[in-house]
Amino acid sequence: MPNEALLVHTLVKLAESLVDDFDVVELLSLLADRCVDVLGVSAAGVMLVAPEGDLRVIASSSEAMRVVELFELQADEGPCLDCFASGEAVLNQDLTTVDGRWARFAPVAVDAGFRAAHALPMRLRGSVIGALNLFSRDECVLSAENVAAGQALAAVATIAILQQRVVSEARTLNDQLNTALTSRVVIEQAKGVMAERTGLSMPAAFEAMRKYARDNNLRLADVAGHVIDKTLAPGVINPAAHLS
Amino acid sequence: MPAARLLRILTRLENEDGAGPAPARLCAVCADVMAMTGAGIMLMSGDVARGSVCSSNRVSALMEDLQYTLGEGPCVDAYGQDRPVLEPDLAGAGGSRWVAFSPPAVAAGAGAVFGFPMRVGAIRIGALNMYRDHAGPLDDEQYADGIVLAGVAARAVLGMQADASPGMLGAELEFGSDFRFVVHQASGMVSAQLDVTVTEALVRMRAFAFANDRPLATVAEDVVARRLRFC
Repeated sequence: MPNEALLVHTLVKLAESLVDDFDVVELLSLLADRCVDVLGVSAAGVMLVAPEGDLRVIASSSEAMRVVELFELQADEGPCLDCFASGEAVLNQDLTTVDGRWARFAPVAVDAGFRAAHALPMRLRGSVIGALNLFSRDECVLSAENVAAGQALAAVATIAILQQRVVSEARTLNDQLNTALTSRVVIEQAKGVMAERTGLSMPAAFEAMRKYARDNNLRLADVAGHVIDKTLAPGVINPAAHLS
Repeated sequence: MPAARLLRILTRLENEDGAGPAPARLCAVCADVMAMTGAGIMLMSGDVARGSVCSSNRVSALMEDLQYTLGEGPCVDAYGQDRPVLEPDLAGAGGSRWVAFSPPAVAAGAGAVFGFPMRVGAIRIGALNMYRDHAGPLDDEQYADGIVLAGVAARAVLGMQADASPGMLGAELEFGSDFRFVVHQASGMVSAQLDVTVTEALVRMRAFAFANDRPLATVAEDVVARRLRFC
């Protein structure tokens, strides 16, 4: 490649690498593949609860239509739905002997060549946001080690979802963070002014401002702002204290 | 998208899910992934450093204090120029790069420093601040890791703000980070002592810190503890 073209090519690549190209579906597909390798199962899928409340497959280890269908069927019944509903892992389910437990789902899964199924919950601060679904072509009893490894993978999937949620709200979150910080800075500065003028400790100065705000139906941040711009005297906020 | 690299880094983040504040754990993961002696996260807005989300050790904390106080350094440049800033030999060839920042950073033990801007899409939130106690460059793998890690860290930090009450800092940030509130408390006290604005008070404190070769944060602590008065 001629030098100029190479330079442009390099610059474009560098620019691309700096753009936030976080692709949660690609990541979760790779994670599903990792489940197959690490846990010794035949297929894996990540299912998430949609805002409407139903479970949807977001990524799977195999694009074979029948496998994807199997995941999708689980919106109505199956190990994933049970896992999601209970918040508990559903392990080592022999699909040939489930005795009518999943009357529609089990035969379709067996027909597709799967013998065993498991589902591990994806938990976020006490709520279940989805499940990691695993299928095996043979009878498969997951060892305790593999269950733990599977739960770790489910936790990584949860982190990925959390990260993805931030992306669409980034501007708002950053604005909220900066606003909160600015407001705190003013409050901390006002604590300092109060502490110096009244001799109160920082915590006592804070309490005095907070009480004044409450008693006068004002926002603490506004009280602090008035202390800083000297439109509110420390002696008014804490009349009992000595003024320097 | 470097999915495999991202998966490795998220897996490392999950493994770190233990006791202790989320910001500290995030910093520990950053230092570990990049094989750094220390790592820190600085929040920035406009041209202003707003504070430290975390610092994995004392030297990282000092380097953030220096950048916060002096307004120069790898994080400041990385954020301002929106690109990674790499200085593999701070004491040698890099000595003249940041005239005020480099000598105290080297004296504290920094041999190489690296700053990666932290962004979520087009939203820039600060920079990842990393150092090694010996000189030496990043290899290509580490550089690529740094790019992905900075994105992960940026999303993690904004995620800590996600469940906050309106107008408040997110709980994990409130209890796990150091936004140098002691400096702002001290600014308030000094502004009352000198009868000047808080902005002017901060200028005076900075000048005092610089003249006495002390970190701004320790000067502020002395003011708040009433060991130091300005008049």
